[in-house]
Amino acid sequence: MSTCPRCQAEENKIRTEHKGLNAKGELVWTIFNCESCAFTWRDSEPARTIDYNLREEFFRVDPEKPYPVIMPPAQYK
Amino acid sequence: MSDKNPPLSDKALEVARRIGSLRDFLEFLKENGQCINWSEEVYPEPDIRNVAVAAGRDSMNGPAVIFDNIAGYPGKKMVLGVHGSFTNLALLLGHPKGTTIKELFYDIISRWGADEPLLDFIEPDKAPVNENRLTSNFNLYELLPLYRINEYDGGFYIGKANVVSRDPRDPDNFGKQNVGIYRIQVQAPGEFTLLSVPAHDMGRHIMAAEQEGVPLKISVMLGNHPAMCMFAATPIGYDESEFAYASQMMGSPMRLTKSGNGMDILADSEMVIEAELMNGVRSFEGPFGEFPGSYSGVRKIPRFKVTAISHRNDPIFENIYIGRGWTEHDTLIGLNTSAPIYAALIKDFPEVVAVNALYQHGLTGIISVKNRFAGFAKSVAMRALGTPHGTMYLKNLIMVDDDVDPFDLNEVMWALSTRTRAEDTIVIPNMPMIPIDPAAEVAGKGHRLIIDATSFMPPDKLGGDSKIVTPPSGPEIDAIAKVIQLLQNGGQS
Ligand SMILES: [Zn+2]
Repeated sequence: MSTCPRCQAEENKIRTEHKGLNAKGELVWTIFNCESCAFTWRDSEPARTIDYNLREEFFRVDPEKPYPVIMPPAQYK
Repeated sequence: MSDKNPPLSDKALEVARRIGSLRDFLEFLKENGQCINWSEEVYPEPDIRNVAVAAGRDSMNGPAVIFDNIAGYPGKKMVLGVHGSFTNLALLLGHPKGTTIKELFYDIISRWGADEPLLDFIEPDKAPVNENRLTSNFNLYELLPLYRINEYDGGFYIGKANVVSRDPRDPDNFGKQNVGIYRIQVQAPGEFTLLSVPAHDMGRHIMAAEQEGVPLKISVMLGNHPAMCMFAATPIGYDESEFAYASQMMGSPMRLTKSGNGMDILADSEMVIEAELMNGVRSFEGPFGEFPGSYSGVRKIPRFKVTAISHRNDPIFENIYIGRGWTEHDTLIGLNTSAPIYAALIKDFPEVVAVNALYQHGLTGIISVKNRFAGFAKSVAMRALGTPHGTMYLKNLIMVDDDVDPFDLNEVMWALSTRTRAEDTIVIPNMPMIPIDPAAEVAGKGHRLIIDATSFMPPDKLGGDSKIVTPPSGPEIDAIAKVIQLLQNGGQS
């Protein structure tokens, strides 16, 4: 899992969050988090969710774009 | 107002006394064939979503589903659909299987306004929720068998938490403690985002904490008494306690204790996550498949860090499937959306018989009313649009006569077919509307539709034989008016 399925951030932005094991202690799946766009995913999910090219374009995220901020902290300044 | 509430039935009280926690309720549902175990191995995605959607198809009688064999989560249990069918709600309120939605509606109405808080406080060291306590190395991904609820959700959501917070400027005030359901996205092993807006109690608490630079502590209760989830979503006043309210509605005491960070929490919940607002931090959150059946977009929202976790032995993680209906969310909030609209209308219009606002949180509502005279039902509809919930949600209103059960869609369709005159539909353009209405051309603004499907009524003609009065007029009267003016000013005539 080298890049983010949602924003294509590079590997150095991808954090390994948790490894799910079975009762024998064998690896079943791994959860990753993208520090650029906050997408979180499991490598066992259907490709439609975790493959950038198969995901609907509508759901891509460009972290550089201005997204709405809920209760912007700047309003207190 | 409590003296006006009829006493609960023996069966309702018996059930209320027996059920003190999620576990108790699951056992009770099992005895009644309303809870099943899914023990074949499932992957979190897409298997859990698939089972949840299939179970949700039967909104009347679908069971709760306990998953006890989830790949990557050996030994862990997760339950969906606890409030997934009206039969499950009926059992909770002490009714048999086969109870109609209309009967449930009247039951909730009859409990409405009870104001005798029934709360027992127990010491934290005796509370089952404190059987296990973690104070470091938190890993929500490991503790909770999370799944991606809808395929394009931005992450893994906790969709059915009851979150307790207190006004950070008045932290000792029990009444200003708020319990609400807010969507939570896990963002790191020990951090999560929580969506609230300034209008919510939680939103006010967040803004107050950041403005004054004081900490905001919260307790996130998971796997709760089933009445808590049902009634924490009900709009009540800022100074009223949701705990008191839920116990009143059940007619039986609820057990409270103190969380490690000073909140009142349910003593018998499966898990309580204590957390603190990361002041000034905003993180990407969403999309999330919401109740209209559409995704709400990506936002930057407040973030919290976990400070401690308490949980029972072998905790059962309760979550929800929500998305394009019918889903558990529709059943969970439907009757509690309908009841306050009814309660508001009945004050002015005792002719209102019942309100069905089950559909997508009331985006469509059906009101049954005893029509007094031509146009009366339309006036009632206008009043409904002015109720707190109606202002933002009631997009389509269908008005039916008192002989039509608004919860029976076959009857409603009959009324639409036989009693609607196209002339008696009203469109009010450009009204306020919840921003997530998928039909909106401009978010936050929408048109209202009223279909008056009540039968023809003659107009109220009392006083209809009026004739204009002809008062005396002319120079003589003008002269008298001048005299009156002079007298008033102390002059002589
Ligand atoms: Zn990303």
